Amino acid sequence: MVHMGTNEIVEKIKGEANAEYERMISEANENAKKKLEEVRKELELQKKRFIEADERKGVEEKERMIRAARQHARKLKWMVEEEMIEKAFEAAMKRIKEVKRAGFKGKSYQNILAGLIMDGTRSIAAEGSEAAELEVLLSEEDVAYLNHSLLKEIANKISQDNGVKLQLSLSDERVKSAGGVIVRRKDGKIEVNHTFEQRMARFSTGLREDIVKTLFSRR
Amino acid sequence: MVVEALKLIREVEEEGRKRLEEAKESVARILKAADEEMKGLTEKAREEVKRIAAEIAARYAKEGEREAEMIKKAAEAEAGKLKATAASNLEIAVNLVLEKMFGLR
Repeated sequence: MVHMGTNEIVEKIKGEANAEYERMISEANENAKKKLEEVRKELELQKKRFIEADERKGVEEKERMIRAARQHARKLKWMVEEEMIEKAFEAAMKRIKEVKRAGFKGKSYQNILAGLIMDGTRSIAAEGSEAAELEVLLSEEDVAYLNHSLLKEIANKISQDNGVKLQLSLSDERVKSAGGVIVRRKDGKIEVNHTFEQRMARFSTGLREDIVKTLFSRR
Repeated sequence: MVVEALKLIREVEEEGRKRLEEAKESVARILKAADEEMKGLTEKAREEVKRIAAEIAARYAKEGEREAEMIKKAAEAEAGKLKATAASNLEIAVNLVLEKMFGLR
């Protein structure tokens, strides 16, 4: 059995206490350092994620702005097209008066009306009845351009061409229109509306496409 | 003599106990300081992320504005050209409308 002296016991107790002190401080420092390292790493990771998310948001916002600008550009182009198509229609309607006075491309207005009456009459004749009485409706202004002999001439020509017996007369009824004609059977069962407004409405879709091609092609 | 020895040992034990108390207090201070530092780091990181987010948003907004402005200017120039082209072709288009209206086409 080893016996220790008082001094040895005192030194041993002191040594153990100091060692424990050092161990506790060292462990605490180590833990603190480790925790700080972990926090730094976590914060770096979070920062990276936030920046990535912000970058995505930024790109989306930029693309949204570009999309809006492109949409605005398309709208602007469409507005120009619409404006110019409208101008073409308006100018055409304004020109009708001049056409009535001076004709169009070498054709008198009377010839133009005759052509429309002919087309309407042919359409009705094509429906198949052997004989038909047809009448032509005009605006008050256009009555002056038509006479009985012209109607008779048209009726005779189509009667001959189609092998039917047609009679064509001017109706007392007047239409409200910038020009053109309505041809209809006297019993009212068939009617071909060749007033300019109706023709424009009928051909609108195809005509708009043709107008766009004409207006915006560079020559 | 034995009594004195025991007394000395008790004193040293008391010193040892005090030393351990000091150690515990130091540990608490170290941990508290670490906590403070962590809070500081977190706050600093939050501020930095906020600042970077604002920079990123501003950068992309500026880029977007610049590109949108270019598109807008190009569209306006294109619209001007289209209008000029259409104006020079208007007479042809009007004739086209009239031909269709009069049944000549």
